[in-house]
Amino acid sequence: MAVETMKMMGFIGKNELMNKILRQLVLDGSLHAVNALVRINSSDFKILPTEKNIEALEELPFLKSYSAHRDFSEDEKIITGLMQLFGIEPQVKLEHLLQDYDYDKFIKEILNIDEEIRHTTEEIQERERTIEEKREYISNLSYLKEHQFDMGRLAGMKYLTFRLLKITKENYEKLKKNYENIPAVVMKVGDEGKDVVVATMTPVTLEETVNKILDSLNYTPLALPDGYGGLAFEVIQELEQKIQEDERSVEELKASLSHYREKYASVVEKAFSRLQLEKQVEDLKSDAALGKHWFFLFGFVPENRVGELKAQLESSFGDDLIILVDDIAKSGRGITPPTQLRNVKLFKPFELLVKMYSTPAYDEKDPTVFFAITYMLLFGAMFGDVGQGLVMLLAGLIMEKVMSDGNFGGILVRLGFSSTIFGFLYGSVFGSEDLIPALVIRPMANINTMLVAAVFLGVLLLVASTIWSILNSSIQRNIEEGFFGRNGWAGLGFYLVLIYSVIKVALGGSVSPVSIALMIGFIVLMVLKQPLAHKLEGMERLYDESAGSYFMEEGFGVVETLLSTLSNTISFIRVGAFALNHVGLYIAFETVGKMMGSQVGNIAMLILGNVIIIGLEGLVVFIQALRLEYYELFSKFYKGDGIEYKPVKLKGLAHAPRNPFRTIAH
Amino acid sequence: MGNSLVYAAVNTKIRAMEGDFLTAADYKNMLQKHSVPELARYLKDNTHYAEFLKDVDVEKISRRELEEIFRRRIISDLDRLIYYFKRGYKDFVRSLYLKYEIADIKHLARLIFNGSKPQDFSQSLTFIGKYSRLQPEKLFAAASIRDLITSMEGSEFYPFVKPLLDGRRENLFRFEMVLDMGYFSMINQMREKVSGTDYKILQFWEGTVADLYNIQWIYRGKKFYRLLPEELLNYTLEFGEELSFTKRKALCYAANLEEFYELVQSTGYQFLFKKNQTQDIYMERRINRYIYHLLKALNRKYPMTIIQTICYVWFLEYEIKDIFAICESIRYRITPEEARRFLVRAF
Repeated sequence: MAVETMKMMGFIGKNELMNKILRQLVLDGSLHAVNALVRINSSDFKILPTEKNIEALEELPFLKSYSAHRDFSEDEKIITGLMQLFGIEPQVKLEHLLQDYDYDKFIKEILNIDEEIRHTTEEIQERERTIEEKREYISNLSYLKEHQFDMGRLAGMKYLTFRLLKITKENYEKLKKNYENIPAVVMKVGDEGKDVVVATMTPVTLEETVNKILDSLNYTPLALPDGYGGLAFEVIQELEQKIQEDERSVEELKASLSHYREKYASVVEKAFSRLQLEKQVEDLKSDAALGKHWFFLFGFVPENRVGELKAQLESSFGDDLIILVDDIAKSGRGITPPTQLRNVKLFKPFELLVKMYSTPAYDEKDPTVFFAITYMLLFGAMFGDVGQGLVMLLAGLIMEKVMSDGNFGGILVRLGFSSTIFGFLYGSVFGSEDLIPALVIRPMANINTMLVAAVFLGVLLLVASTIWSILNSSIQRNIEEGFFGRNGWAGLGFYLVLIYSVIKVALGGSVSPVSIALMIGFIVLMVLKQPLAHKLEGMERLYDESAGSYFMEEGFGVVETLLSTLSNTISFIRVGAFALNHVGLYIAFETVGKMMGSQVGNIAMLILGNVIIIGLEGLVVFIQALRLEYYELFSKFYKGDGIEYKPVKLKGLAHAPRNPFRTIAH
Repeated sequence: MGNSLVYAAVNTKIRAMEGDFLTAADYKNMLQKHSVPELARYLKDNTHYAEFLKDVDVEKISRRELEEIFRRRIISDLDRLIYYFKRGYKDFVRSLYLKYEIADIKHLARLIFNGSKPQDFSQSLTFIGKYSRLQPEKLFAAASIRDLITSMEGSEFYPFVKPLLDGRRENLFRFEMVLDMGYFSMINQMREKVSGTDYKILQFWEGTVADLYNIQWIYRGKKFYRLLPEELLNYTLEFGEELSFTKRKALCYAANLEEFYELVQSTGYQFLFKKNQTQDIYMERRINRYIYHLLKALNRKYPMTIIQTICYVWFLEYEIKDIFAICESIRYRITPEEARRFLVRAF
């Protein structure tokens, strides 16, 4: 339940080994790379001048960033082409990556294969092209299907030319209106929404004139096949036959490749995996810095992975690779480390919702546990139902299985569980309150109690989040916010006294002068937070800006504090309100169900009602609870200006291998 | 759209912006200048163009750069006006860019045709992509008209230019013609986005402009290009205020220029043809002046309409046109008296 501790690792290796070293880093999948030059120039960078390091040290002043980004699109085209031909599924397999290989030499092999079968593939392509062409002829000819034209005779005319073309409706109108002046027979044969297809017949001698006119109408010619006789539909049949023939020969050609497939399929499969790895390596290189003989690469690695990674690389590369491991610099110095959250399985899915707000900073306390507990509590309280809760739990379990990212399903499972528990407390099964007894309370029968309890829950959560904020301030040694801030001790004191007074008034008492004095005292502390904090820290300047604008701002701040304290608290009334709403909605469907008149209708209505309640109200409650978390609670204590931990790894490889290098021989 | 409410705001803005137009005195002073830098300095020191010239060394400026800078003013002013409109009207006002965008595309096509390098012009063709979904970088990378057409894929213009590609007829003339036809077809659709009085005014205004352009086109086609009547007719704009299809057809099929003049006499546009030597030289200017005065009249007559906005943009364009006419006349050493005859604005 915390933020994973990171180490800054440095890898300084011989240039000629760069690809191999980087390949291992990508396969390991735990390095969050940072720009090497930025790292080298940061104030906490050091490298011991030992004998082993001396050569690399000498290169430090002359480092350049890696700029020659290699383009793999050619390789990719060839490999995917071969994969399609052989019918190989794109899949990254670890077994192909663990050997010691030279990518360039390997890819030559692939190029040779491609060369060997090129003649056949080109023929396949050519056949496919003619099939495409014939299909187009067919679609063009289909405009002439209903007419008794002999295509052979039309094409063979000596003094007339026949053409098929497409123009826009707008332009067709123009043509029609001026038809008496056009030296051609124009016949509309097809209508395609915005366009019109026409057949034209012109004396050869006038062809040039007609072309000019048609040009001004911006036409698209539709090609007709050469050397076919008979009516349009006959030609179409003939073409279709030819297409079938062509398709057959394509199949034959493909079949003739089958022995190549046997021979080379495994190599192509290998090539795909290696290409994917190489692309990642190339990406990683953009963060590296290059010297004459050595390259430098830096990144963050979770503490528990450091030992293993180091041992593996050292055993593989020995003296050709220098590995640096440094602790993370104090906050504010050096490069911001990424945040990797680590929570027990029960709370893990909720990381998704926390990250949706933002990623916690590396030196901040991870709010996931707090979030998870309170969120389940709020959701359950608003949507307490044994039956519907179990449905959600089930749906969540299915989603966890089906979806690749099981987080959302996980959340649903936990929320469904919480809902079920509250269902028992409220005594509600699929909305019905007659089946089981309520262990604690029936919301609809105790409206006031529900609402007051909701507000009370709100007070507890707000106090808890203020205390959290105070803890955060104390970690960061922030006296101003921790002691005197709105979310510090002063704010907490003010809030508690205020709540105490409100309760007293509600019970018929009156506010004691001591309470009023205390509240005013806390407000004064909050207004004077900056000068007080600066005084305690022994600073000369009392204000960061001019005193006038400081007090102006803080003056409004006080008004805002008063308002938001109350509104934040009252906001929690919705927890009670939704618990009531949940029952209310069911009663509505129950009433409609009884009005249906028949037993079947009644049951159908109840099922429909439950579906709507789970779908619609479930969503509303999900959002409302999220709103309470984000707006009322997170805004008090959670900054979340961290960077997410994104290690370089190979996509498509399901799990990072724990120790993938055992088989690698140096 | 609550028209009077919107136009109250827009027109106030326009009135304020009109205050930045050049005055008659400015025109007189500019005509007295002897070089382009001198003219640029005058504009920088005395007029609203100072804002656009502030980072420019006027001593070294070329006519081309100056033109580019001033065209930016159209963009900046129009952007300010677009802000006031909503929904369909916003689209309509944005379509006022279309004219300049098409001009820039045509310019680019000519540069490509003449074999210029991309870096020569990517700077100056600012309107490309301003209205449409064109991606300027793609267009600038084109090496031929064919490339240019393919690079326009996905934009509003593509349906118009695509047939050229399919029919392998992509030459400069046809490219420009289909773009122009496309422009008017798009403008025709844009008109549907406004309503009420605005629609009626637009119909009249755009119809009149179309008439003028149609007459000019038919006249030039007959006199200089000797196009077929059918071609002429097909390239005319499909709408007009006074010239119906029948009248246009009659003009296109006039046997000779005499018959053509005869026919024009019966329309309201006979002023275009004075039948003297200067007829062709001044035709453009006559059209522009006619439009200028027509706009002024419409402007007075319909204070709370879209015409106010159109008027502003056109006047701005004319002002910039005039500045360049003055530039040219300085370069060709034409006397101020003669030069002012080429200007749209009379003073």
